[in-house]
Amino acid sequence: MPSTPPDSRQQVQALVDAVQAAQTADDLTDAVEDLSACAHPMAIPCLIQVLGFNNPGAAVAAVDGLVAIGAAAVPAILANLDEYNYGARAWSVRALAGIGDLRGLPLLERALAQDIGPSVRRAAARGMGGLHPHGFTARQRQELAERILPQLKAACGDEEWIVRYAVAVGLEGMEHWWQPPAAQRHRLLDALQTLADPQREAAPVVWLRARLALNRLATAAAVTRA
Amino acid sequence: MSQGTPLNEAQALDWLRQLEDPGQRYYAAWWLGRMRSHHPQAVPLLIQALAERGPRLDPTCGVDEPNPVARNAARALGKLADSQAVDPLLEALESSDDGLREAAARSLGQLGALKARRPILRRLASGPLVAGAPRPGTSRLMEPCEALLEALGALGWQGEEGSTITDREPLLAVVRAYGDHERPLIRSAAYRSLLQLTREDCWGEQLVNLLRHNELQVRRAALLDLGVTGWRPAGAAIAQTLAENSLKLIALRGLVENSPARNHTSPSPSPEEAGLLVAMDDLL
Repeated sequence: MPSTPPDSRQQVQALVDAVQAAQTADDLTDAVEDLSACAHPMAIPCLIQVLGFNNPGAAVAAVDGLVAIGAAAVPAILANLDEYNYGARAWSVRALAGIGDLRGLPLLERALAQDIGPSVRRAAARGMGGLHPHGFTARQRQELAERILPQLKAACGDEEWIVRYAVAVGLEGMEHWWQPPAAQRHRLLDALQTLADPQREAAPVVWLRARLALNRLATAAAVTRA
Repeated sequence: MSQGTPLNEAQALDWLRQLEDPGQRYYAAWWLGRMRSHHPQAVPLLIQALAERGPRLDPTCGVDEPNPVARNAARALGKLADSQAVDPLLEALESSDDGLREAAARSLGQLGALKARRPILRRLASGPLVAGAPRPGTSRLMEPCEALLEALGALGWQGEEGSTITDREPLLAVVRAYGDHERPLIRSAAYRSLLQLTREDCWGEQLVNLLRHNELQVRRAALLDLGVTGWRPAGAAIAQTLAENSLKLIALRGLVENSPARNHTSPSPSPEEAGLLVAMDDLL
């Protein structure tokens, strides 16, 4: 007798039904965690719906699920943005930031520059460091860096410390997908220096994060040279 | 009744100078604190406003508290770091309005006003069953215990004459009694204060227990209280708490910046600090 595939449609549907039937916040979180764990594309509409429930535990689990599903979730996330619910929009931006798909980039850019919610701007800044430009040539990666670096540098002046913190994380992350040639690398380090400087940055935690990024980039460069 | 908030410092000062519209005075006081005004007129005007007693404002303007102008003036003075404010705030601490006492206590703690320790301790001394008893007909307590306990923690052990207080047990005994208060938010404030005053791990562990409380409001308070104490062993528990990432990030920032282990001379994070930063990255 053939065994049932582990994520058959009925099983995923049962997990979706459990999310819809949850009566308490804790039950909802547990049900969403189970649904997210299967990382099945059929779960996408339900997970996106959970982002708008104002339940942080369930939303974290739903973001994890959408990130695990990856690129297949991007069109649905973009099509279902809730203009009137900051919380939901922040979670959508977090999901897109975690997936790193370039189709989400225009949304991250708009969020970083314009969104009134610091939680949305911080997710966007981190997301710009986590892009996955699969199959890009060195020249295309350079063009992408030319597009993103000025936006992160502008966000070094954001009024909220957590956004500037996320910019430090984003700048460090850029190195992974940009892989800048030696002559370009200092542009990344210069931007981080601004955040690492107590004269120019008010929040000690931001200096420390920028310094951590500089130290790690210096180590990575030393390893590459060796 | 005016709506909205002042547009700039000059307007805020004008709004606070005029006496006809308490709504304008209310928002002006808030604005000067929020914007950390350095204008030489800001503190004197706020001290005048602190003496104002008046009824609740028209609820249509969104303010629903007695003595609203004085309360906002007290809150603003805590943010402006000017020692001129200490004596007027000590006077406000003796007001019959417990909401004004609450605002005054918080601000005295923020200003590090050592003269406030004795009167604050006096207000708490009758313990959780008297000072901490419910105020009939309201959700409040007889004394604003949370603010009073937090202020004691913020003031630490520096004595008024510049020496360090050596006879610590009487103060600690008063604060410890609130660790058994029936309301978890009061317990959280007591643990926070005790952790700041003693650096004993048992109080940090009590705060970590509150991170698993079934009410979100309690988990939020414990997060912020741990952040203020900078008790680093709480890092992993904070990262896993069921609450908004924004609050967890504020708490973890507190662990990095407020810990006695923080090395202010090194520009680079210690390994322990790097671990906390990595936990923060995951929450962005």
